[in-house]
Amino acid sequence: MAPLLDVQNLVKHFPISGSRKTVQALNGVSFTIERGQTLSLVGESGSGKTTVGRCVMGLIDATDGSIVFDGQPLGRSHNIRSRGVRGRIQTVFQEPSESLDPRMRVGDILAEPLIYLGVSRADRDRRMAEVAARVGLSVTMMEQYPGELSAGLQQRIGIGRAMITEPDLIILDEPTSALDPTARAEIVDLLIRLQRETGAAYLFISHDLSTVRFLSDRLAVLYLGSIVEMGDAREVFAAPLHPYSTGLLASALLPHPSLRPSRKLTLEGEIPSPIDLPKGCALASRCPFVEDRCRSSHPAGFTPHPNHLVHCFNYEKVAALGSDADYFARFQAIAKSVLSVGAPEKKGVMA
Amino acid sequence: MSHLSAAVVLHDPESPAIDPPVAFPSEAGSRAAAADIVPATAPEEAPILSIDRLTVVFDRYGLEPKVALNEVELCIRRGEMVGLVGESGSGKTTLARAIMAAIPEPGRIESGEIVFDGKGLDDLPEEDRRSLLGRDLSMIVPNPRSELNPVLTVGDQIANVIRYHHNVPMKIARQRALDMLKAVSIPDPERRMKAYPHELSGGMAQRVVIAVALACSPRFVISDDATSGLDVTVQTQVLELMTALVRNQNASALFITRDIAITAHFCSRIIILYAGEVVEIADTAVFFDRPGHPYSIMLLTAFTHDPELRARWIAPEAELPEDCACAFAARCVRRQERCIVERPSLRRLSSGQQVRCHFPVEA
Repeated sequence: MAPLLDVQNLVKHFPISGSRKTVQALNGVSFTIERGQTLSLVGESGSGKTTVGRCVMGLIDATDGSIVFDGQPLGRSHNIRSRGVRGRIQTVFQEPSESLDPRMRVGDILAEPLIYLGVSRADRDRRMAEVAARVGLSVTMMEQYPGELSAGLQQRIGIGRAMITEPDLIILDEPTSALDPTARAEIVDLLIRLQRETGAAYLFISHDLSTVRFLSDRLAVLYLGSIVEMGDAREVFAAPLHPYSTGLLASALLPHPSLRPSRKLTLEGEIPSPIDLPKGCALASRCPFVEDRCRSSHPAGFTPHPNHLVHCFNYEKVAALGSDADYFARFQAIAKSVLSVGAPEKKGVMA
Repeated sequence: MSHLSAAVVLHDPESPAIDPPVAFPSEAGSRAAAADIVPATAPEEAPILSIDRLTVVFDRYGLEPKVALNEVELCIRRGEMVGLVGESGSGKTTLARAIMAAIPEPGRIESGEIVFDGKGLDDLPEEDRRSLLGRDLSMIVPNPRSELNPVLTVGDQIANVIRYHHNVPMKIARQRALDMLKAVSIPDPERRMKAYPHELSGGMAQRVVIAVALACSPRFVISDDATSGLDVTVQTQVLELMTALVRNQNASALFITRDIAITAHFCSRIIILYAGEVVEIADTAVFFDRPGHPYSIMLLTAFTHDPELRARWIAPEAELPEDCACAFAARCVRRQERCIVERPSLRRLSSGQQVRCHFPVEA
């Protein structure tokens, strides 16, 4: 069976006004998402994560490459607004307070996508009530305005609005990064539960690695508009093979002083400008393993394990560094022993 | 007393090292004298900052004033970096602004005292306070791009701060600004001196804001959620830089954040704020092995992504009377009758931390 979403060699260059140069935001990104699966795109700001999402959504046109959704190529004239695709791809944005109309009641925001699918008023109200219950919004909130609710609840509205059309694919563009850790954990739980219930596939765009770990089936690490490593999420977290992924994963902090990320590999400096991309590997200026061939030619993809792709000449050296993968397991063990003391026997009810 | 030295050691990630502060020739008087009297290594010296029962309220039209901070008490010693953690709306930023005497209207300090280096900030004449803020006491703000002046070059902005506080020629101020840019590891600092804020990336603009805050070698720095907008790799670099500056200058820092994970690695003590009240103060080494307050534990469970563990610590919000004595009672799984009628005071547990709770979790 063909994948739900098949993105091949996606290129996006933004022209710079008054100049012949372009911002090379995406340089040949390829990935697929199966039905009901989550692919996470991680990378620093400027790596092109959001541009991928916007191309798939059809908010911007790709310079080159193909996007095929459920057998239908998406492009200029055939996009997510077209019949047969409309309502099947939905989006949740980063800032809930900025992506909800402040003058619409919560109930109307939730039901709005159904208007464009020609759903009758009575059915809209019924679906709205169903979705509200599913994402954990109370009936009284349906009459309120988004500004009266907390950021966590606002993001539930954003998720409910996306879910109401029963989409096959939801693009989640940093849905948790504006939230407090407690609200973030609740939203992650909600997304996992909704996926189990509805079978929607997620394209999860984030720089928050501790969140990504929990809801990804596959993980793609993006650097300067190219995927540098992609594979089974558990495998990439356990044994990253690209120097950039290794550095990125090592910089995620866990709340216990003994779990200090190791300094086996540090990336100096910042992401270079995407205007004048170097000829060879984009990481060459920051990489501790850099060699002459890295500067002169772009490393082709290696697949050391099935379903694990890495673009690095020296991936074996990176693999030899080992990884901090057991950090999270250690944190969970510590958390279990420390935090289960003193909790009352009767369990609280999850909101 | 050494004069301005251009030598600023670039830090390496293993052992960050920044030159100790250089005193300015014009201010050798007051600060140098103070430094002679109080040796930096004295074990039992007075705290650099102490806050005594600080209550800040925001007046509301036709309503009771909203209490943003309720009898907050804390003290910060010399040479330590303290983490202040709380969710949005807990009063973190109000506390930072109260210390900087910059509470926005209609907020006001209702009672309490902020003592910085032995001097009450409220009693200080306006002129003295202005010369203190930004020099001895400075703040790193979030949203660096909105804080920097868009029509001044980075070099001029840093030099202006130095010129305001120390009567030095522009040439010396600019040299010092360049040293600061080097100290915060900005690549190609000579060229960046002439850059405008919009020409910088977010991470670089944040480092410029840090350079501004540290330009006068402050003795106390507040970082108000200043790293949350940065990517994880840049965030780690910035945190290491701040740690180095605090360590090498015997300065102190209050690191305000929503992310309790950061404080585990960069702070020696941690303060948990909930609804304008300090609910727990603990040494980092103690806290993460034995958090005492139910709220602290609830915060930590958010990182486990263990639904079972979280369910045990998250209670459905209960309907309690408005004037409930403990602010956290409505969300607390360990709540008993006493929590509703009697306000808990901050008390010390056998494990060493202070907790505002009648029924804390003890070792």
